[in-house]
Amino acid sequence: MTEAQTGKKITKRDLVKVFWRNLLGLQLGWNYESMQGLGYCYSIIPALKKLYKTKEEMSKALKLHLQLFNTTPAMSHLIVGADIAIEEEYGLENEETISAIKTGMMGPFAGIGDTVFVAIYRSLVFSIASYMALQGNVIGALIPIIPAIAICWVRYEFTMLGYQQGRKIALDFASQLKELTEGASILGLTVIGGLAPTVVTANVPLVFKNGDVEFKLQEMLDTIMPSMVPVAIVLISYWLLGKKGFNSTKLIIFLLILGVVLYNLKILG
Amino acid sequence: MHIALWQILLLSAYAFIAQPDALSLQLSIGFPLMSGFFTGLVLGNVQMGLTVGATLQLMVLGVNTYGGATVPDFMSAAIMGTAFAIISGQDVEFAIGIALPIGLLLTQLDILTRMINVYFLHKAGRYADEGDADGVSRMNILGIIPWGLSRALPVFLGLYFGNEVVSAITNYLPQWLMGGLKVAGGILPAMGIAILMRYLPLKKFYPFMIIGFVLAAYLKMSLIGIALIGFAIAAAYLYLKNDLKAQSEGGDIDD
Repeated sequence: MTEAQTGKKITKRDLVKVFWRNLLGLQLGWNYESMQGLGYCYSIIPALKKLYKTKEEMSKALKLHLQLFNTTPAMSHLIVGADIAIEEEYGLENEETISAIKTGMMGPFAGIGDTVFVAIYRSLVFSIASYMALQGNVIGALIPIIPAIAICWVRYEFTMLGYQQGRKIALDFASQLKELTEGASILGLTVIGGLAPTVVTANVPLVFKNGDVEFKLQEMLDTIMPSMVPVAIVLISYWLLGKKGFNSTKLIIFLLILGVVLYNLKILG
Repeated sequence: MHIALWQILLLSAYAFIAQPDALSLQLSIGFPLMSGFFTGLVLGNVQMGLTVGATLQLMVLGVNTYGGATVPDFMSAAIMGTAFAIISGQDVEFAIGIALPIGLLLTQLDILTRMINVYFLHKAGRYADEGDADGVSRMNILGIIPWGLSRALPVFLGLYFGNEVVSAITNYLPQWLMGGLKVAGGILPAMGIAILMRYLPLKKFYPFMIIGFVLAAYLKMSLIGIALIGFAIAAAYLYLKNDLKAQSEGGDIDD
């Protein structure tokens, strides 16, 4: 264990290189066999070059990191950072441990990451941006760039944090993030609640005639509750997505057929 | 309107970089909101591009490649839908009506790309056997080509044969179908909302969604106003929660 005693071999410059590769390249080689595995290996190569000098070691390390990997891209930086810290300390002597730490972290991190960096992020940034664009405001199309750059900065910090915290990262960070996720979920759900009546359009042109009296169905529905049809369609979609084997592509096809049928029955127009 | 070759090439180049961006920096170039806007800008009808892009964006709001699942390519669809409507002097509904089937059709190219990249992985594996790190790096970078072409090629071909495509659509698509697709375009944003509801802790926090709904449907408040109220509620919730936690912990010490 002389290497461990000689101190750190990874410099800040190496970590910056890893960050850029991770940011730009994690998913370029996305494939059905190893998913982000090729990109993960690509990302960590600057660190591997510092740590492993012989051809045999390098070959072993490359093959280890080409294995299957998949998580939310923003969260992957924490894992790569932690991985480098662990390999700097213990080398490759315990391949299974490194593999287990990577696969052990990618699942829970994807759970948090998909909620924060995809679901909540999209429901806030893109619903407001699209809403502005629909009103003819050009700023709406450009505004998502600003939070996107902020996320890139977060990803840089994640690389450094992952490296500093090493193996501890999984436990500590997850609990800190839980509260933040709760608050962000409240914000996200409030916005989504306002989204259905603003962006789903469904007008009912149906008119009942009873002698001289006309009943416009849309007006009747509005007195019960505004935006009743949009809400109903959202709830049906939500219910369908919960069914086993039902995915977003099937839902698109269902809604397309529903639109065509309701149009031709003159219920929607 | 006639579409010039430079416009076709510019839009194809945009499509080429859009998907690699969606996979890396995520500056939102790879989203229909931006691609629709850009197409409108290039073809001289910004309002059309904005509306088509925003409508398609709302549909895919919650859709993401969770675990690498393939989703409809509404980025390319927004380019082609906007362009076809501008070329043929049609309205926004027409653009959305044809963008939907195009987006669904292009799903297949996304699947093909993810299959092609297996080839690069296997070549990278051989470089790894020899300990050649730079060889592995090259294989990952080469992934840009199938990703880029999977979007740029259909956009180029679609726009190059734009007039033929549009006249085929307008001649052969019956009114009952076009009218139906327009209605479908209006209700499809429900999907984006429903997917987000699946991913957020709805069972625990559904009351906040009702608050958002009432503000929009009854009080006609804008989404930015609703977001501010949502932020205030979230902050108050966390504050009260921490306060309660501190109190109960304090109580323990007293005992």
